[in-house]
Amino acid sequence: MADVALTSDAAEPLEKAQRRRWGFGARMRQHAGILGGLALFLALYLFYQANHPRGFTGQILIQNANEAFALALVSMAQTVPVLMAGLDLSVGAVMTLVGCIASHLVNGSPAEIAFGIVICIASGAACGFANGCVVVYGRIQPIIATLATSAIYMGFALILRPTPGGKVHEDLSWAVTSDVREFAATFGLFSDGEAVWLQPFAWIPVPLILLALIILLVWVPFTRSVTGRTVYAIGSAEGAAYMSGLPINRAKLAAFTLAGLFAGLGGLFLALQTSSGNADIPQAGAYTLNSIAAVVIGGTSLVGGSGSAIGSVIGALVLRTISFNFRIFDVAPLLQPLFEGLVLLAAVSLGGLKLLRLRNKLEVFR
Amino acid sequence: MTRVARLSALALTGFLLSSVAAVAAPKSVSGPGPDPNCFKPWNAQTKYMQWDKKPGPYRIAVVNGFVGNTWRIQMIQTAKAFAEQAGIKDKIKELKVVSTGTDVAAQLGAMEDFINQGFDAIITIAVAPDGFDRVIRLADRNNVVIVPFDNVLDTDKVMQVNEDQLEIGRSSARFLLKELGQKRDGKILEVRGLPGNSVDRDRHLGFRELMEKEGKFQIVEVVGNWDDGTAQKATADALAVHGKFEAVFTQGGSTGSVRAMMDAKHPFVPMAGEGENGYRKLIAKHAGDGLKGYSYSQSPGLVSISMKAAISALEGNPMPQLISVPIPAVDYTTLKDNVNFWSNLTDNFFAANEFPACGVNVTAPEIMAKDAKNTQ
Repeated sequence: MADVALTSDAAEPLEKAQRRRWGFGARMRQHAGILGGLALFLALYLFYQANHPRGFTGQILIQNANEAFALALVSMAQTVPVLMAGLDLSVGAVMTLVGCIASHLVNGSPAEIAFGIVICIASGAACGFANGCVVVYGRIQPIIATLATSAIYMGFALILRPTPGGKVHEDLSWAVTSDVREFAATFGLFSDGEAVWLQPFAWIPVPLILLALIILLVWVPFTRSVTGRTVYAIGSAEGAAYMSGLPINRAKLAAFTLAGLFAGLGGLFLALQTSSGNADIPQAGAYTLNSIAAVVIGGTSLVGGSGSAIGSVIGALVLRTISFNFRIFDVAPLLQPLFEGLVLLAAVSLGGLKLLRLRNKLEVFR
Repeated sequence: MTRVARLSALALTGFLLSSVAAVAAPKSVSGPGPDPNCFKPWNAQTKYMQWDKKPGPYRIAVVNGFVGNTWRIQMIQTAKAFAEQAGIKDKIKELKVVSTGTDVAAQLGAMEDFINQGFDAIITIAVAPDGFDRVIRLADRNNVVIVPFDNVLDTDKVMQVNEDQLEIGRSSARFLLKELGQKRDGKILEVRGLPGNSVDRDRHLGFRELMEKEGKFQIVEVVGNWDDGTAQKATADALAVHGKFEAVFTQGGSTGSVRAMMDAKHPFVPMAGEGENGYRKLIAKHAGDGLKGYSYSQSPGLVSISMKAAISALEGNPMPQLISVPIPAVDYTTLKDNVNFWSNLTDNFFAANEFPACGVNVTAPEIMAKDAKNTQ
């Protein structure tokens, strides 16, 4: 120790540089899952755009953003419990329930619409909070607890919408599923979207902006809070987190509430996109399953403790982009699910590649 | 610099697209349209729509939702086989088929993608009866014909194709009443479909409407879920409880219903059922023993009528907004091997693919040939 202190003057710059390099490498390794997913997404998506007769136009971007938004949000929702080594089987049901609520409430005067949106977001969060209560105070495994609550939420959704239908404010629906210019034009903002300063952003699809806002305003602050760090700590080693005095129960409640909130936002968008509500049980199930796939592709570990909702967004984009390509290329219709499966398998296998580089097999269990 | 150029190019394209749009939409016109026996308006109130005439050949996309049962797979194969038939082949430049699963966002995205790719018509089985407003708006702007069939939409803004399910119930009742002769009492077995589905409800209502008016039958209802196994068990249970039925009406899983009767040594009686090949094989074999069968079908071949209707609309013809396709039906007197059933094919095959009123017949060998090509 003393030796190091004595020679510190000379060694410091070198050490610092080494630490920095190690830091960069570690960070790359930490995000290897996300980066792999991102690379796969970019490869698939650029391939699709390049071969599309109207590739690289705003229209295609809007259409793809609309299609991916709800799944991206539901995948973000799924990430939070997965970080704690749990699965939330109710995310699809919460999305469906909030969609059905939206088809009743998001209409009428601006005040009514605002009220409706607030109720939708609040009900999503409330569903998540209820899941959290069952898990924390009922001491039931998340997967079982949410399996039960998902049936309850689907039940509510069916009561609200026994048959598909309802109405969502038409202009709002059109505005959030278009680009910035249409959004501004629909509401008469910024000289109907023709303001000069707006033009560089005018082509950006509104759903992408909403997604970025949700990540920046909700997800990033959450991961930097003590509660957010605790969620990761629970996933790594719940016992150690408890012994360190971290607020375990609060973190679990917050995690499930956040999951409900994200799923609810997805449902709200789906209702706006379809301007109706539909208590569709197979669809809710499909979203739940796809969200788990997206989480894995996005590099989040199913045993908890590492990963990010941003990765899951990329995972959701990968899932969507695979099927985009079927619309361009002549893949025999009955072989499409097979191809989708192969690409998915390749995607999740990327995460396993790092095992090949391990020197000590015991590190697998770290 | 290039980034700015790219962005402004994008902005310009967007601007051009949005200004070119907002013109075209189908006109509301008065009928009648071409081929009124095939493109039959649903009822007297059905309005007619007309799109601007486009030069052929056309690019057509089929956007299926759920895939994974025999019906849907056969539907996809039929679409491909129909596009190869003489008279249709030269009108279709490109046929693309995708299945999006039970996810409305994916289906909407696929439809929008095909509109943006410049396809002329999109045939679809909607995964939900509502929620397609945005896509319909875009299709109208781009002069694209959208044709939902089988599971249709709750809207009158697109041309749709289906069979009249009430009429399926009624025609089954008419057949059974005819076969029962003078008999107007006794027990009738009704094997229903999937509960809560509008198809199940309408077939039931149509059947009851005539049966209850005509006689003093005691109609026993069981639920068969349109599935052979479920229908077989439900029929067996009903036979055990009630002993003897004068006639049977089954909505699906018809093969199972017949097998249950054979297992219970129940004498063959007049029967109305779906268009499964297995059911038709059994009718052909046992008609002489009393299995006087009637076989209607909500056929996977509806996709070919939808394609035909889309082509007709693209050629500028006035088309009914809701088309009631004549129900493809046969009975024990008109069954013919290798024509409307196939003794060498599986029971699961849907045998009813002939629509004489439309001049459309996609035969089993054609459909099966597609199968071979797709899976190898």
